[in-house]
Amino acid sequence: LDPGCSFHVSSQASQKNQVPVEHPRAISRTSESDPAKHGEQHEGQHYSIPLQDLKMVFPHGLPPRFVMQVKTFGEACLMIRKPALELLHYLKNTNFAHPAVRYLLYGEKGTGKTLTLCHAIHFCAKHDWMILHIPDAHLWVKNCQELLPSTYNKQRFDQPLEASTWLKNFRTTNERFLSKIKVQEKYVWNKRESTEKGSPLGEVIEQGITRVRNATDAVGIVLKELKRQSSMGMFHLLVAVDGVNALWGRTTLKREDKSLIAPEELALVHNLRKMVKNDWHGGAVVLTLSQTGSLFKPRTAYLPHELLGKEGFDDLDPFLPILISNYNPKEFESSFQYYLENSWLQHEKAPTEEGKKELLFLSNSNPGQLERLCACL
Amino acid sequence: MAASALRVAPQWSGLVLSIRRAVCRLPGLTQVRCVRYAPEFKDPLIDKNYYQKPVTELTEEEKYHQEVRTTQLIKAAPSTHTSSVFADPVISKFTNMMMKGGNKVLARSLMAQTLETLKRKQFEKYHAASVEEQANIERNPYKIFHQALKNCEPVIGLESILKGGHFYQVPVPLVDRRRRFLAMKWMITECRENKHRRTLMPEKLSHELLEAFHNRGPVIKRKHNMHKMAEANRALAHYRWW
Repeated sequence: LDPGCSFHVSSQASQKNQVPVEHPRAISRTSESDPAKHGEQHEGQHYSIPLQDLKMVFPHGLPPRFVMQVKTFGEACLMIRKPALELLHYLKNTNFAHPAVRYLLYGEKGTGKTLTLCHAIHFCAKHDWMILHIPDAHLWVKNCQELLPSTYNKQRFDQPLEASTWLKNFRTTNERFLSKIKVQEKYVWNKRESTEKGSPLGEVIEQGITRVRNATDAVGIVLKELKRQSSMGMFHLLVAVDGVNALWGRTTLKREDKSLIAPEELALVHNLRKMVKNDWHGGAVVLTLSQTGSLFKPRTAYLPHELLGKEGFDDLDPFLPILISNYNPKEFESSFQYYLENSWLQHEKAPTEEGKKELLFLSNSNPGQLERLCACL
Repeated sequence: MAASALRVAPQWSGLVLSIRRAVCRLPGLTQVRCVRYAPEFKDPLIDKNYYQKPVTELTEEEKYHQEVRTTQLIKAAPSTHTSSVFADPVISKFTNMMMKGGNKVLARSLMAQTLETLKRKQFEKYHAASVEEQANIERNPYKIFHQALKNCEPVIGLESILKGGHFYQVPVPLVDRRRRFLAMKWMITECRENKHRRTLMPEKLSHELLEAFHNRGPVIKRKHNMHKMAEANRALAHYRWW
């Protein structure tokens, strides 16, 4: 049964005032759970990620409201949308001999940039790529409880707490690679501890998690080794950063003498900037802009030039921008049917035509706004 | 106070001039932020179906009424009046009572968060329950809200009556609107005062609404106390003269 054909049948049926009971499923869901097989015929449909996979691939990185929705419904369903299909098409055809292409997802607030990123990450995880996922770069430039001068370079600052949480989540996602990748240099942590050349990367991560003081340096080592070794072709590497405009913005962190710290003086930010450069090959870099957590940027800013600034734009310069916009009518219908199927819309008037028209108007087809409106109905 | 409300008027549009003429009699000065309309102003009609009826379907009387309204002066519709299908007068009243300092945005968002929290709690119970119990679990936050407030309404109230230099608590029948007001007032007071400093209003409110829905909890207890006091002061009922 072709899902596209049944959508037309059901729309005609609804015009004749018959309630199609089995057809809404064909609009809003698909049983294809492998992102590689998603194509144009699945556009607008939801596919579900098994909860075990979810815990492994996304220990961090899902938007908080989506996590609440997964907990309430007991299932994780992502909508397959056109920008995601475009991105997956490019990732499927990556030439691993060429330098890594940088894809930048941008769009207004609430349009689905983070979930599109998660779709791409799920695809790469299914295809055994190494995933380097920074869930929100804004968290690294604000509200830092402990800021230590870096052990490696006196001018820079360490953030032990953020680095150690990130290392723990990185270990959960990439468990299977950690024993296979060997470190190619000797690293001396302090007088008593050092990591020999040829030991597995898992040891560096353990060192970073147990000795929190060295966590930032451990992160730097992991990034350096992964970049070097993916260029050698041992594995494919996906670098996914959400809120990449934090790396070139301003911080709210201050030194003891109350002077502001620039982002490049943070060791984590410095190393991450080196990671998103396109001087390595063997993978891809997918970035997302985000105004929501950003500092000192107006709420209406969403374009790359506005959020990245001149310096960031120049650093990222040859990149592929992908615009993510609000739902088109088919996607809105699909989302609406999905909520109805899960009995999320409990108000009596919500399933009616006027209710649907009102939701369309109030949310302006913006996915984030629609979700918030449906939550209290 | 009056001086701050009056201002030297620049050239206003004709629409506002008519209000000026009807409302204030002082020349050259117009009042702002005042909602005292003259008696000739009619109430606005907010009904989508009334306005969307095609001209052919109107009866003679309705056509006449519509033409008359085009010539009449009509008050401005308050921003709380909606033609939304999701509008609920009980929820609006409760939101207004929760509002502090005119911060309607905050009150509305707290109400929305409460309904969401209620829904999520009930969904959790639903998924954890067996098939027979699932039929008994109510997941509609609006039904829970209405039923909870109905359960909190007292049947009889107490009134302070002055007799012979002393105030007596006399049992008195309550009008519907007074009952609804008391139920909402008790619910809000309970959720504001008897909670830990760090619990948020939506969490506490959803908890209290669920308890009231099942006829237990502090608000129901307060209603029962009111009933008991009225029963105890039964003898003073003659002090009421209305």
